[in-house]
Amino acid sequence: MNSANQSNSNEKSQSIGTRYLSFTLGQEDYAIPLLSVREVIAVPEITPIPFAPPHFVGIMNLRGQVISIIDLRQKLGIKPKAGAETAVIICDLAPLCLGVVVDSINSVLSPNVDEVTEKPQIQSGKNIDYITHVYRQGKKLTLFLDIRKILDAGDHQAVSSVTQVKRAA
Amino acid sequence: MDDFEAELKAGFLEEAAQLMVDTEQCFLALESSPHDPVILEKLFRLAHNLKGSAKAVGFNELGAFTHELESYLLKLKNGDIKTHAESVSLLLQCNDHILKMISALKADFNAQVDGTHLLEEIRRQIAGQTAEASPQSVAPPAPAEPVVAAQPEEAPVSVVETLPEPEVPAVEAVEAVAEPVAAVVAPVEPAAVAPVIELVPSAPQAQAPADESIRVSLGRLEKLINFVGEMVILETVLREQIQSSNTGLVRKTVHQLGKVTKEVQDISMSLRMVPLKQTFMKMQRIVRDTSGALGKKIQLNLQGEETELDKTILEHLGDPLVHLIRNAVDHGVEAPEARVAKGKPEQGNISLNAYHHSGSLIIEVRDDGGGLDPQKLKAKAVEKKILKPDAVLADKEAYQLIFHSGFSTKAQVTDVSGRGVGMDVVKTNIEKLQGDIQIESEVGKGTCFRIRLPLTLAIIDAMVVLCENERYVLPLSHMHESIKPQESDIHFISGVGEILCLRNENLPLYRLNQLLGKRSAKASESVSDYIAIVVRVGAEPFAILVDDILGQYQVVIKKLGDEHRNLKGFSGSSILGDGRPALILELTELVAKYRPVAQPAVNSIDKNAIPQRRAAA
Repeated sequence: MNSANQSNSNEKSQSIGTRYLSFTLGQEDYAIPLLSVREVIAVPEITPIPFAPPHFVGIMNLRGQVISIIDLRQKLGIKPKAGAETAVIICDLAPLCLGVVVDSINSVLSPNVDEVTEKPQIQSGKNIDYITHVYRQGKKLTLFLDIRKILDAGDHQAVSSVTQVKRAA
Repeated sequence: MDDFEAELKAGFLEEAAQLMVDTEQCFLALESSPHDPVILEKLFRLAHNLKGSAKAVGFNELGAFTHELESYLLKLKNGDIKTHAESVSLLLQCNDHILKMISALKADFNAQVDGTHLLEEIRRQIAGQTAEASPQSVAPPAPAEPVVAAQPEEAPVSVVETLPEPEVPAVEAVEAVAEPVAAVVAPVEPAAVAPVIELVPSAPQAQAPADESIRVSLGRLEKLINFVGEMVILETVLREQIQSSNTGLVRKTVHQLGKVTKEVQDISMSLRMVPLKQTFMKMQRIVRDTSGALGKKIQLNLQGEETELDKTILEHLGDPLVHLIRNAVDHGVEAPEARVAKGKPEQGNISLNAYHHSGSLIIEVRDDGGGLDPQKLKAKAVEKKILKPDAVLADKEAYQLIFHSGFSTKAQVTDVSGRGVGMDVVKTNIEKLQGDIQIESEVGKGTCFRIRLPLTLAIIDAMVVLCENERYVLPLSHMHESIKPQESDIHFISGVGEILCLRNENLPLYRLNQLLGKRSAKASESVSDYIAIVVRVGAEPFAILVDDILGQYQVVIKKLGDEHRNLKGFSGSSILGDGRPALILELTELVAKYRPVAQPAVNSIDKNAIPQRRAAA
């Protein structure tokens, strides 16, 4: 809620036009474009999928549609926050539809142009590929994520490599 | 206004495309009974409708073309021109041309498709025949154009004339027309039109009041079915909850709701069902064209075209069927001389038969050709290095060789078939639809391909099984039987795995938790707590061990998302009674994954070994 107030008070500079939904993973703040969010729900009952990589939590029933759930914390290697109000963001990434487990939902951001910067150039960062931009408000940093990239980068491979491991075992 | 016009045009094209399916069928029927007044009349009406509507919505080119076609049809109908193979071919070409026009117009309302050569051919036939047969019937002696122009006046004349005796041979009829022309031209047109309607006897009119229908987009239908599926699930949830409620009224209402839900589900599922007719009709054309190209005489017999099938399955059935039919024409039925030499009738027969059989749809493609020779197939397979020379195969297994990719017994590659690709595609396509294909054949008598398909892919009968507190769905069609095994029925062979001795068979036994990649400490536990399910779908039968069977349900299949496309072993998911999703198992895939290296078939192990173990146990 804080961040929303701050961005309102900063109305002189121009908004970048895209709004983001920000959420918390462990101690860090992340955000994804609001347009890719279909809805936010409480964590439903989830059926696990054998052979799927660990961050694929399973599948759920969203009013008759079966949707896969991934845990971003697992994927990004972030320790879950204890006692968090865990929620699932249903993302519409046509043709995919995915649920993303996060520690808590924060707010909708409409960042201004001068607050958004390119991501830091760190070669070794494992998660750096998934970050599109960095949003800075005062001393608080929010990282904009590309969910599609997170999936593309590893998961198709991961799914098949896991099965290969099992096969070898 | 523009929108309205565009909508009209789109609507017309949609309708026209459907009309064309009818017309093609009529053209083909015309070939076998060239003078059937009912068919000719129907065709004439179809062409007339098409012309009228095309002009009404502003497709003038299409209108002009159908106008010519209509005049030609009129000549045929009146017997001015004799119907023969050539004219049927011309009509079919016209049909194709109109279809081409329609699809071009669909893409662009102003599209132009050149059809001059067909028009000329039509005019030539009209002119050629009428000019020589009845030169005095039409006033101007000029050939093509005036005949067409004079057509409206000529029409009533000939109709009246041919009415009393529709079977009169063409030339006579035309000559008969010549005299009374002057006399009959006088009556006003409406009087002459009336008999035309009478000429159409029972058939088309009887169909009209039968069942009114509207067309609905598949997208909307699928949405409806999706929600009905959801409703079924909610109803199950409600029913499970009601056990604890004591209110009589609530219980009664829920019970009632259950009945209504079932009804709604049945109806909505049947909405997806479409008759095979259209697909079968296409085959008629394929047989005609293919046999013509190969110089064979073949009659295609259709049976059970009214049999209904889920639309999605039907869509994927077309290609395999076309292939099987072409194969039957090319490889199956022999050339006429060869047939006569064998003492068979010159004309070959291919029959396409569809019927329901115990919850499945069966489609048979049968020909009375040379049949498959198992010896030849084996020799060919050895030559192509598909088979080892010393392999021993039963006839049935030998037939299966033709499904091997890169296998073709015909020495010569023809335009029609024989490239060696295809039969394997046929098999995979059918297996993708959860069906299978079998071959029966007798040398010299013919071959029969029998395709078995599920009626629908949207809902299946399934068993819900339990494995380590997770529920999984097993398609009932995959299960052969389930038993509660005794300790003594199960044996462990080092390097092979566990074996279930069932009656006089030794089946490989897999534990579901191992197949699913869970390493359970319980593996050594007593097996009598488990249930073994025997599966006989793949190449080899096997058994799996599950914790429990929870029951048999009808489940609505939900596809897994694209993100799981690499995940083998699961054909989809389904939502169970409590609203939680469960995975549908593809056991053969799971087993293949668990046992990637082909191990020796268990049944081939020295059978004495197992009874000895049993005695020891």
